[in-house]
Amino acid sequence: MAVVLIRLKFALMRHSFTGMRVLGLALILLGTGLTWYFAVSAANDEVRSELLCLAFAVWAASWALGPTIANGTGVLRSQYFSLLPLDRRRVGALLLATMFVDIGPALTLVAAAALVWHGAAFSVAAALVAVPAVLALWISVIALSRLVFRALGAAMLSRLGVEIASVQWGLIMALLFFGWMAVQPALAATLALRANGLGEGTTGAVLAALPTSWPVHAVTATAAGAWGPALGWLAASILLASVLVVVTSALLAPRVTARGMRRRRRPLGARPLSRPARSLLPDTPLGAVIGKELRQWWRDPWRGLEVRASLWAGLFIGLLTWSSDLYSSFAPFAGVTCAFMMALSTANMYGHDGTALWLTVVGQRPDTARADVRGRQIAILALGVPGALALSALFVGLTGAHWAWPYVLTGLFAVFGAGAGLSLLLSVVALSPGVDPRSRVDANDSGDNQVQVWLSLAALPLLCVPTVLAAVFLGMAGTPWAALPVGVANGLLVALWLGWIAQRRLAGRLPETFTRIRYGKEIALQAVPERGSLLDRLERTAITGNGETRPTGS
Amino acid sequence: MPALELDGLTKTFNETRAADGVSLSVPRGSMLGLVGPNGAGKTTSLSMTVGLLRPDSGTARVLGVDVWSDPVAAKRLLGVLPDGLSLPERLTGGELLTYWGGLRGLGRDLVRERARELLRVLELDEADDKGVLVAEYSTGMRKKIGLATALLHAPRVLVLDEPYEAVDPVSARVLTAILRRFTDGGGTVIISSHVMALVEQLADRVAIIARGRVLADGSLEEVRGSDVTLEDTFVRLVGAREVGEGELAWLSS
Repeated sequence: MAVVLIRLKFALMRHSFTGMRVLGLALILLGTGLTWYFAVSAANDEVRSELLCLAFAVWAASWALGPTIANGTGVLRSQYFSLLPLDRRRVGALLLATMFVDIGPALTLVAAAALVWHGAAFSVAAALVAVPAVLALWISVIALSRLVFRALGAAMLSRLGVEIASVQWGLIMALLFFGWMAVQPALAATLALRANGLGEGTTGAVLAALPTSWPVHAVTATAAGAWGPALGWLAASILLASVLVVVTSALLAPRVTARGMRRRRRPLGARPLSRPARSLLPDTPLGAVIGKELRQWWRDPWRGLEVRASLWAGLFIGLLTWSSDLYSSFAPFAGVTCAFMMALSTANMYGHDGTALWLTVVGQRPDTARADVRGRQIAILALGVPGALALSALFVGLTGAHWAWPYVLTGLFAVFGAGAGLSLLLSVVALSPGVDPRSRVDANDSGDNQVQVWLSLAALPLLCVPTVLAAVFLGMAGTPWAALPVGVANGLLVALWLGWIAQRRLAGRLPETFTRIRYGKEIALQAVPERGSLLDRLERTAITGNGETRPTGS
Repeated sequence: MPALELDGLTKTFNETRAADGVSLSVPRGSMLGLVGPNGAGKTTSLSMTVGLLRPDSGTARVLGVDVWSDPVAAKRLLGVLPDGLSLPERLTGGELLTYWGGLRGLGRDLVRERARELLRVLELDEADDKGVLVAEYSTGMRKKIGLATALLHAPRVLVLDEPYEAVDPVSARVLTAILRRFTDGGGTVIISSHVMALVEQLADRVAIIARGRVLADGSLEEVRGSDVTLEDTFVRLVGAREVGEGELAWLSS
């Protein structure tokens, strides 16, 4: 059975070979090389043991977070197998087993085997103890990877779960963007690591306590002839691997309960038609789109994750900068950073909606595309601005940096405006459909948006250049408030301009946009001219650059 | 002038001809059943008819209005129920209809009135009172709310892809009654289905499609000719694979 599943996995993977996978393999290869380099070139046994502890911790962290960041859906999804006449837990265990058969895990095993080399430096006995220790470590790391991925998916079923996933994502984003503040000293130290190890201090102590270091301790203890502790560490490693395997298998078992979020009350803002109407929104197509979008953003776990993670990322970035000496003057701008993140995470709205776009295509009127684009812009601003303002007030208050207010407000206007323009343009042009909304399970199912993220990272600062220049020069001239109108104008103009391009593109290519979602990459490419306009080329880049995360054929 | 005209609709996906010059003409006030085996090109043809998929060549006309050169006017006349697509999943049925009516510019009061009636007739009002989201609907309920979206703006021509699939017998009767009232009032319906008996009972016109081509098209009597049932005609035209004596013997062991 396991062999059948492994064959199925490779068959599915052959049809979806992506650039992301190549990048992942390159990183794993680099990691394997570095681990062995550390093991071979360490100055002495003690340094080697510390370096291996460090390397194994990094391996575990990368495996835990990598698949989530890399935006991939699982290749073998457990719901494919829910009708098999097999015990659900057995299916879970089999699915976990397939995870170990791939190039990445194989290379990871090669890297972990550096511990055997470490043991061999002492004695034959130490090398022999290292063998089961390496296997336990390897199993733990790969199982942990699936555990984190599936736990995030399971979290999508409850509001609290979504919130926890958002905190996790927010932290990951904050670390990706501002983690270098913490990592920089560590990197500088790495150069000296080979010679000195980690030395005395908290880092070394924390590292030594991590479960990924237990196999190393087992080998070190064997070398010292302390058989009791050696067997103890080995047993602890094996126990950990077993627990992880059991828990992960249970999580991978196909779910047979109803889908959708568990809910006890009517959703917020839902009034039955049988009761009198009450609406603040205008009775127009624009009003209809705003109402629909606000509800979808609020209720859809996948959309909620994007918005909430941006808020949490803003908070964590504020805290990170506030707590560092060098960068604390950035802390008042946590709200502006949050606005920036929000623009990145809302750049795939039509991908989120999936084939539900048919309503817009079939209901097309002269002003439908305009209402759809403008309504979405207004909805994301209505959702994002209060949170970003609150974050700004919090960190200006905490740091007492009231001088920052004119800059913060100017920045918020510019980034929110430019972001609302850019995210809509990318949502239309660089649309990347995920698993269709009806069958979403995992946190990454709403579509790969790496092209949008990279483009936004480059384009958003460029679009805000007038505001930045005005803030710098007017600030130096002692009149920072004078930059506020520039920020307002900058934001408004970009929102209107890019929104206008987006609505024209959408209106002109409604069926093609739907085709992109409904029929997948290859057929979508047929509908975009190869040597067309800038937007055509952007669309082609997005179609080929984003991974296809549709698990079904059509 | 026919109510709905498919004129040489052709579409090729990755060298597979999904629709190969599909031409049909549906007179006003009639109901046409489009039947064909799996993968025959029914959904592809209907998608091109309602403006969801741009044809490689050919076009469709609704009451003389070209779907591909004047989409806005044509889509005002069309009511569409696609098969197997998502909806705004996190709205309740009532919210979905309110959004949809608003997007079509119908005016809030009119939408409320019609939406309430549709939900009541289709027996979705209780779910709406409880605040059940579309994501939580059963397959049959999804069909019914989809049908409500197709009817809300009082179209002149209905294009329904597998409308009876997963719908329970009681709701199916309601659906049939709705469609009959619609055609009696001069409306035109085209439905696709796998179920021959249903089409035979419901439709006054039939088109049989296989491998992207229309094999027969006309009134039920014309298409059936000397065959006893529509299924016989279908099998005669499309070809049926008989299960040989020795095949699948293990099933009865």
